[in-house]
Amino acid sequence: MDNRIREYLRTLGEDLRRDWQLYLLLAPMVLWFAVFLYKPMDGLQIAFKDFSIFRGVAASPWVGFAHFQELFNNGLFIRAFFNTIIISSIGLIFAFPVPIILALMFNEVQSAVARRWAQTVVYLPHFISVVIVAGIVINFLSPSTGVINILLKWVGLEPIYFLTQPEWFRTIFIGSSVWKEAGFESIVYLAAIAGVSPTLYESARVDGASRFQMMWRITLPCILPTIIIMLIIRIGNLVEVGFEYIILLYQPSTYETADVVSTFIYRTGLQGTQYDLATAAGLFNAVIAFVLVYSANRISRKLSSTSLW
Amino acid sequence: MSAVEINDVVKRYGALEVVHGINLSIQPKEFVVLVGPSGCGKSTTLRMVAGLEDISGGTVSIGGRTVNKVAPKDRDVAMVFQNYALYPHLDVAENIAFGLRVRREKKDVVNKAVAEAAHILGLTDYLKRKPADLSGGQRQRVAMGRAIVRKPKVFLFDEPLSNLDAKLRTHMRAEIKLLHRRMEATSIYVTHDQVEAMTLADRIVIMNNGHIEQVGSPMDVFLEPANTFVASFIGSPPMNLIDATVSMVDGKARGVIAGAAGQSLAIPEAFARNATDGQAVKLGIRPEAMLVNADASAEAVDCVIDLVEPLGAEALLHGRIDDHTFIAKAETLSAIHDLADIRRLGIDTSRMHVFDAETGRTLKTLA
Repeated sequence: MDNRIREYLRTLGEDLRRDWQLYLLLAPMVLWFAVFLYKPMDGLQIAFKDFSIFRGVAASPWVGFAHFQELFNNGLFIRAFFNTIIISSIGLIFAFPVPIILALMFNEVQSAVARRWAQTVVYLPHFISVVIVAGIVINFLSPSTGVINILLKWVGLEPIYFLTQPEWFRTIFIGSSVWKEAGFESIVYLAAIAGVSPTLYESARVDGASRFQMMWRITLPCILPTIIIMLIIRIGNLVEVGFEYIILLYQPSTYETADVVSTFIYRTGLQGTQYDLATAAGLFNAVIAFVLVYSANRISRKLSSTSLW
Repeated sequence: MSAVEINDVVKRYGALEVVHGINLSIQPKEFVVLVGPSGCGKSTTLRMVAGLEDISGGTVSIGGRTVNKVAPKDRDVAMVFQNYALYPHLDVAENIAFGLRVRREKKDVVNKAVAEAAHILGLTDYLKRKPADLSGGQRQRVAMGRAIVRKPKVFLFDEPLSNLDAKLRTHMRAEIKLLHRRMEATSIYVTHDQVEAMTLADRIVIMNNGHIEQVGSPMDVFLEPANTFVASFIGSPPMNLIDATVSMVDGKARGVIAGAAGQSLAIPEAFARNATDGQAVKLGIRPEAMLVNADASAEAVDCVIDLVEPLGAEALLHGRIDDHTFIAKAETLSAIHDLADIRRLGIDTSRMHVFDAETGRTLKTLA
């Protein structure tokens, strides 16, 4: 055993000496991970402690799983957890395919100029700050001056106070997120499509395939590995819903459907200064995310022999 | 009626013309090979027949029907590509069946056709494998299987063997020839390899710079090259071309090799008829027509041998006649070192060709 470790260290030393330039390139990333991701993990222990900022992390007494118990007895946390899952799942079903469809459509555009234009137009929203997007959405849906409500009034319908009604929140949130990100996310798929050998299409043309058949029988299967990788990543983020955007759009009247784990953590932890409880919620979230990614990866490796690791 | 008729076909990319009005008529069941160096327009021509490239001028007709504006799928052609173009996500059976599937053929028809093609190509045991699990030769066979199940009027091959190693290439070459004999389908085959062209073709079409240089049976183009390009392209090693001037002495034409020594060789009658005194020519001498042990009375030249390359049964002699480099082929004698000491080579002038130095055309009147 001792020998094996010594042997390992020796080869590591040799590797470092031989490829030190490569390790130097790697160093900033390792440092970043260490400082911003691994170092803070130390603070996770407050999820199991009765934390007080005056006593500090080390001196606070251990309380075991008390915070987790409290969380699971807290209706608001349970609601936030399920809201997160629901928003993510609906997003997965409706938003995930959009960039793929977009990429397939871009690929069919014959004129290079038209394609560049279309692509630029759908990429643009990605570069707009969420704050501005939220502003646009709020204006758009405003009951008095919003375009949608003006249209509704035109056809003789009552204006709807979209942002105060919980049943509209998910639609608005997911719809505007798709508008903002789908174009940019399609780049990944476009790159995958660009990697498909052109002779496959030529061969298919000679064989008699129509454009739709080529898309369905060649393009889609050829980019399937990319789709699966993106799906695994997406599943890993099921319990993560971008909280800035939610915070910008929600209000107490829509908490019922809009409050998610990250906003719950924000309110209890930062606004309510219950750091230990918020940490417990965050840790719980992370564990669920880990299990999800791990299982999605296992399943994918079994079914399609494509996997992240 | 010819199977494929290519009339004054031109291909332009913007202002750049790459195929300059070529004409070719291909008979049913014929195996025609387009051969030439890279960039000569042979693949482009094939792709115009397939419909993968637009035709900028002239017409292509298949089975008597002009197909300039007909989509590839409606031309009744099948094509085999250099990099196989197999669908990585489909197994061998599905790859072969692809062309029939997209045409919505009945399931039992497809299955029967696939089984038959797999049997012909020896792929029956591999039908459930993915292309990634096949060797290069097997992949190329799958690509051919995909072509033959369609039973097209014309087979198009675009350098199908270029990605295979030399040994496999020889093997697959024979398989393609047997397959053609069995299918009896009109085939157009593009290659840059003159050996492939010679062994496969009923007729060879030699292309250069977007022009057709010569069309003929393999032996025709070998024995009667129309110009210096064909002469130096067909044959391995290629024909030696030596600068010379025609000199008429006593009504007999001799080619005086350029250089201080003033050596000369008798020009065969068929070429002499069209030669004029003082004309600048190139003497075309095949490596096989240079003889190591010729009779003393035979035509011969003084030379220096720089290098001997033994190939086994024969050896290649790299040398110089005055300043003109040449390659000669000699049977290996008991001691190969003797070949390096040769100072005089006999020339079988009856097998010599004479080309006009300026136009590159043969002086012989071809039939």
